Amino acid sequence: MDRSDLYIIVAGCGRLGARLASELSRTGSSVVVIDRDPSRFAALTAEFSGFHLTGDAIEQEVLRSAKIEQADCFLATTNQDNINLMLAQVAKVIYGVPLVMARIYDPLRSPVYERLGIDTISPTELSAQEFLRMITARAGLEPASALRNGR
Amino acid sequence: MATQKPRILIADDEKNIRFTMTHALERSGYEIAAAVNGEDALKQLEAAEFDLLLLDLRMPGMDGMEVLREAAERYPGTRVVIVTAHGTVENAVEAVKLGAADFIQKPFSPTEIRDLVAQILDRGHIRTEEAHDYATHLALAKRSINQRRLAAATAYVKQAIAADPGRPEAFNLLGVLQEIEGDRHGALKNYRIALDLNPSYEPARRNLSRSGEPPIPGTLSLG
Repeated sequence: MDRSDLYIIVAGCGRLGARLASELSRTGSSVVVIDRDPSRFAALTAEFSGFHLTGDAIEQEVLRSAKIEQADCFLATTNQDNINLMLAQVAKVIYGVPLVMARIYDPLRSPVYERLGIDTISPTELSAQEFLRMITARAGLEPASALRNGR
Repeated sequence: MATQKPRILIADDEKNIRFTMTHALERSGYEIAAAVNGEDALKQLEAAEFDLLLLDLRMPGMDGMEVLREAAERYPGTRVVIVTAHGTVENAVEAVKLGAADFIQKPFSPTEIRDLVAQILDRGHIRTEEAHDYATHLALAKRSINQRRLAAATAYVKQAIAADPGRPEAFNLLGVLQEIEGDRHGALKNYRIALDLNPSYEPARRNLSRSGEPPIPGTLSLG
């Protein structure tokens, strides 16, 4: 599908939500970002040209006013795993949004939701992998004592 | 003249909305111009002919309703679609009474605005006075329900009832809308009104028997 035709809803305008919404809007998607706290929308960049909606995304009335039934993609990026998973299920099961993704801090929950067709991204898992990758890359090169002495 | 691109004027004080609408519509081959407030919109309508005006109701300075009044009087060839924020349907209904062709609630998807604009331009030059009859409002209401544009649907249904309060179809649809919005009590009341008006009106009877008990899943009957 043409990227600029996508209608995307982002629930939660924290650092991650604002970053995603701004970038998706900049690259041509039509984006609606939802947050309970309207001061959060200040985190969106100047390039954001979508809509913002003040309200609690766990209320179906709020999701409906965001026109979720038309959405091509739904991103659950509030700061709570349980809320994100609930929102993702609602978007997938009730409104049949084709692509649904949720941010989940606890990586142990991911497999359950992947079985439901909800893609999860765990920052904990991603950071752990990156830490381990760097450690492995460094470990082969220099002894720690050499690094500390600044050589 | 027939090969000329339809010309659309977007009047909105929010840069975001102008951008979103322009972006969605220019790919359909329309010629788009933008106005940043009410005064600017009227200036541009004076300077050139437009087929359609997409008009935000809430703008600083001259508000959308005044622009609509002026535009409807001075440029009757330009159809007007009102762009409203969520929860300001009353204004939109008022606007439709003043001659606006339709309205769309923010936020909207690119597809939604494109479809609406195409429909309005296709509707041809039906003058709004002619469109103010029961059957047209009913048809617009059903179309809006199917597009899940519930606020618009409610406005049309109410106009249909105002046009002819003695027929059951509009009351049945009003009931359907209330049921969708969770007002079961109001819905039942309107299904009963529809049946009182015409005891053999099948869609209302079906809706009443389906929704008369604690929520039973079933298909809403639009009639």
